[in-house]
Amino acid sequence: MERRVVITAASAISPIGHTRDEILHSLQNGISGVQPLRDDGLLSDHIHSQVFGTVSADIPFDFERKYRKTMGPVAFYACQVVKEVVEQAGLSPEQLGSGRLGVAFGSTHGSPTVQRGIYETFFSKSGKRFASIGAVDYLKSMVHTTAVNITKMFGITGRVISSSTACTTSSQSIGFGYEMIRYGMQDAMICGGADEYDTTTVAVFDNLLACSTAFNDTPSKTPRPFDADRDGLVVGEGAGAVLLEDYESARRRGADILGEVVGFGCNNNGGDLIFPNVDGITATLKIALEDARIDPGDVDFISAHATATKMGDVIESQAIRNVFGETTPMVSGLKSYMGHTMGSCGAIETILSLYMMAEGFVAPTLNLDSIDPRCAMIRHTPGLADYPLKVVGVQNFAFGGVNTCLLIRKM
Amino acid sequence: MTRDEIRDRVLTIFAEEFEIVDPGLDDDLREAHGFDSIDAIELLREIEDMLGFELSQEQKKRAMDNIRTLNQILDYIAGLAPEPA
Repeated sequence: MERRVVITAASAISPIGHTRDEILHSLQNGISGVQPLRDDGLLSDHIHSQVFGTVSADIPFDFERKYRKTMGPVAFYACQVVKEVVEQAGLSPEQLGSGRLGVAFGSTHGSPTVQRGIYETFFSKSGKRFASIGAVDYLKSMVHTTAVNITKMFGITGRVISSSTACTTSSQSIGFGYEMIRYGMQDAMICGGADEYDTTTVAVFDNLLACSTAFNDTPSKTPRPFDADRDGLVVGEGAGAVLLEDYESARRRGADILGEVVGFGCNNNGGDLIFPNVDGITATLKIALEDARIDPGDVDFISAHATATKMGDVIESQAIRNVFGETTPMVSGLKSYMGHTMGSCGAIETILSLYMMAEGFVAPTLNLDSIDPRCAMIRHTPGLADYPLKVVGVQNFAFGGVNTCLLIRKM
Repeated sequence: MTRDEIRDRVLTIFAEEFEIVDPGLDDDLREAHGFDSIDAIELLREIEDMLGFELSQEQKKRAMDNIRTLNQILDYIAGLAPEPA
């Protein structure tokens, strides 16, 4: 059995806005969500990269304590976007608890804020013998904390998949959710990812010399995907959730269909854990096209992973050229607006692509003032333009050599 | 501490930590207020803080197995004393 899979609701908390209107406004006006790194009294003074893709929306989380008590900041983000998706779709408690609706949701590493609190007990000078690790600290910090706080809050009894593959966490969530429905294992899946404000992630990339450091005084000028002056990624935070449904049941209930997931490619480079690999990525894109049974020429737009690292953007450009030939789809790096929202980037970039598809425009890569000649063999979105998008590709690649490509068609 | 003092301290903990304000002394805490096993573990930690000594695993298990109401919590605390390590 192979079923068609459609997206019927979407919500994001992003550095460029929370509501659909806020996000569209930022994309249409070239507004960046990158801000100065906040002082955390621990690592921020030692980090060279002093910028962060920061969520500044004032979000009134109104969860009851029985839900809040097992949630770290990352789960607040996750449950909020899922709450909005559930409301948008009008899902009933019966549907949520049918066992035919599942959750595919993850984060890079649970809640680092809560984990930090646990580690602090090791170094506590209070002399207290009794443990100050809370009973719920594990539930707040564990890798699948987002997925199961979602199941608890909404009474979801279907499958749980909690991918935690760094930057491909939420693109895998969407891809695996799509496969669950396509092959009849579930009828609907709530999919996405989240990551909270965290300086340890910045420190990790900073130590690897992968973070942007040259624009600390002008945060909105970085990251600069594909630009000759790019100097690395900018870590960010956020969350994104989509509802995937079997097309026939979505149609029967008269659901608003935002797009159809037509293909998913996922593979591994089978080698180095850090460096991107042109053969691996080329294969990913081909797998997605084969899965979708469409030709390269059918794709109008690519949301590139494009973190603005020196080599990552070059290798992604080469892979796109390998697959699509001389006339590539238009390509934008949406991280130029938000920074790299880590575990949530695949979902957020999918949602931004859905919004652009619905509104019929494409947003160009921000800060792309002078295209790096090594990235010039692809067709960069020339500027904000009305454009009727039919098929978009969302590409994401992660540490560990994991690659994903989602293909989404307007219906 | 007198029983009244213990009751006041415990009620403060319930209000501040569990958002359960002025529960009846004989309410079934789980049935009436959704006070679950995770909350019970947290409460035991608060009780350790209040008394200033660590409870043994046996003392904790006794609480988890038997306590349903605030009055039972007050009885439990009144009967607690540090156990030899």
